[in-house]
Amino acid sequence: MDFELEWTPEQQAFREEARAWIERNAPRLPDHADPANLTREEYERQRAFGRLLGAKGWLYPTMPAEYGGGGLSMELAMALEEELDRFNMPLPPYYDTGGKLGAAAILVWGTEEQKAHFLPMILRGEIRTWQLLTEPESGSDLASARTTAVRDGDHYVVNGTKIFVGSGHGAEYSWMIVVTDPEGERHANLGWLMTPMDVPGVTVEKMDLLFVGGERGAASGIKNTVYFDNARVPAFNLIGGENNGWKVAGTHLEIEHGLLRSSVRGDPLTERVLSHARNARRGGKPLLSDPHLVDRLVDFYADSEVTRLLHLRNYAWRSQGRQLTYEGAQAYLQQKRSQLSKARAVLDVIGPQALAEAPDEWAVADGHIEAHQRAAIVDQHPGGTAEIQRVIIARRLGVGREAREEPGRLR
Amino acid sequence: MDLLLNEQQRMLQAAMQDLLRRDFPKETLTAIDAGTADAADGWPALASTGALGSLVPERWGGVGGSFADAGVVFEELGKGPVPGPHFSSGVLAALLLQEGGGPEQQAERLPAIASGEAKFAVAVTEPEYGWDADDVQVRAERTADGYALSGVKLHIPDADAATHFLIAARTGAAAVGFFIVPADADGLSRRRVAGFSTGLGEVRLNAVAVGEDALLGGAADGWAAFERAALKAAAALSAYQVGGTESVFQMTLEYSRTRRQFQQPIGRFQRVQDHVIDIVNHLDAARWTTYEALWKLDTGRPAEASVRLAAALASEGYYLACNAAHDVHAGVGIVREYGLTLHTKMSRTLYHYLGGPRHHRRRLAAALGLQAE
Repeated sequence: MDFELEWTPEQQAFREEARAWIERNAPRLPDHADPANLTREEYERQRAFGRLLGAKGWLYPTMPAEYGGGGLSMELAMALEEELDRFNMPLPPYYDTGGKLGAAAILVWGTEEQKAHFLPMILRGEIRTWQLLTEPESGSDLASARTTAVRDGDHYVVNGTKIFVGSGHGAEYSWMIVVTDPEGERHANLGWLMTPMDVPGVTVEKMDLLFVGGERGAASGIKNTVYFDNARVPAFNLIGGENNGWKVAGTHLEIEHGLLRSSVRGDPLTERVLSHARNARRGGKPLLSDPHLVDRLVDFYADSEVTRLLHLRNYAWRSQGRQLTYEGAQAYLQQKRSQLSKARAVLDVIGPQALAEAPDEWAVADGHIEAHQRAAIVDQHPGGTAEIQRVIIARRLGVGREAREEPGRLR
Repeated sequence: MDLLLNEQQRMLQAAMQDLLRRDFPKETLTAIDAGTADAADGWPALASTGALGSLVPERWGGVGGSFADAGVVFEELGKGPVPGPHFSSGVLAALLLQEGGGPEQQAERLPAIASGEAKFAVAVTEPEYGWDADDVQVRAERTADGYALSGVKLHIPDADAATHFLIAARTGAAAVGFFIVPADADGLSRRRVAGFSTGLGEVRLNAVAVGEDALLGGAADGWAAFERAALKAAAALSAYQVGGTESVFQMTLEYSRTRRQFQQPIGRFQRVQDHVIDIVNHLDAARWTTYEALWKLDTGRPAEASVRLAAALASEGYYLACNAAHDVHAGVGIVREYGLTLHTKMSRTLYHYLGGPRHHRRRLAAALGLQAE
């Protein structure tokens, strides 16, 4: 049982090639504690770098090469991601739900024509996509979506409102759950639609939120409300066929519920807090002379480690093609809950200074500590609340039922 | 990075599962607990699996396995939970002899441990309970041809089953040595302490005379060797607790499906589901920290922080999983014949073994550099 990758000489050579290429091409961008502060110019540089990665198949390295992915093994993808870590950059290097979630769903459920049309532009970084799932009246109960898509000739006419969408600086496409059969049975009344964001009738309006972390990986910083007013979307863009959207969504929800790779790296906050604690003083004495605070820090560390290991287990097993059941939701639940307990531990250890925001001179760790105090609250709901994760775990374990619930299709 | 058992470990696992089915089924374990059967009856079968030599090199009659292999063995034993001196003897004493013993002591004692012929218990703690060197008050006084040991050892796992003890005793103001003492030595008496624990006992030492050659490694101060051995042993003990927690989880999951109240399986109630989820979360937190700790020991990586974390989480997790299981099982859970109480009792018994969560967390803090200078 190996907890680390053993690199073959070929893999090591790839890694070195990747390192040199990244050194030459990666933009050097500031590490914003609050990603909402990402400027348009910085975003454009991220996108340009994304297109360079995409041209090499490195933007979504494990996706099939025939559609513009890298066709690389999980090991090589990991090498690539570790090299990008050195520049404090995830993969993709900006908020994009296209390649990891949307493209995964298209790959499973799209027709050959749809795959050939959509996947290359997603996987090469030519377009950035947002996911449009939540609505004002449809949160935890995602299947209760009310946004409608009514067939009219070669198009669907879309009307409704989606919230908690995307990031700053726009997107070229979005994918969404819509009601395609208002008379249909629950779960059999939905469609899954790839929507160009530039069609008439689509309006994007920024929400005013406590903080936005995003779906891990590149933090999005900003969330929007998107209004659809008779927006016309080509019927070709409906993925998975008529009224099959719930099953299509099952694929990306499966991935989002704890199967994303970014959390395997561990939380950079952990070392920031421990190193602050080792040097801080209170009342003329080292902070660490207070055993209560040391206990808090140990709890904090334990939470971080357990979260990291559950994600590592999921990542390793999934990369071997093992079917996971409850493990994704378990890791996600652990991550959400540990964020809250860590935020409290940080407030105990650092004191009110944890609440000082960058660029104020009293902000700790360039504002990352204050940002985390907000992010911990915000992290509780994306991808399903902690309670929803518990529902998934119970169903997948088969608590109180003979048959365990089947996971969403990943291939 | 596979995070799976290898082929050989799966075979080892299957062999241990056979042993449990054949020699330690639930009926036998509850009978041992009730005092109507003797754990010693299954000892030869247990020894024949090689479990007692998991961590003993082949040249001394052991299997010479990795820590991960030992983890597989003790996780399966924990599923019973199979009581007895297998851990005290095959892991803790075997490691202590390897870390601190002299060549002759190793050559004489390790083969006997691996074969199961000798059953060692390690006696460290005392009425003023603790796992630091300062907590040892039993005295070893020089005599003409060796030492005389006096004092009381308390809460010693497997004290009544042991054929030999490794006894921690103060050889000087700042030194603690370990002495190999046969259980039938003059002046030594031992007994099981009755209560909500499995196999914890008292050892009284009244001027027990031992020769020079009884002192482990001939070292008046053997505490550092004990710390090294105890750290490694703690990872295997965590695996045993993981096994116990796994059984508690499976038992509770099954009960959530079969027990009906209010015209439906109780597992349909989210309040009940939450208990089962808490159990599987404790289980997996303990499992993966333990596996990583075993891997670090096997690969020579700095392992202290990992082992301390695993040990704390496995002790707490087993304890809390049992509590949650009792919530789900209600009255059925306290019927001894059902089997849950074997685990509840074992979770309490092992809670403090080799230090307990508080001790391990303090050591973890030190390993992370979280100690005031």
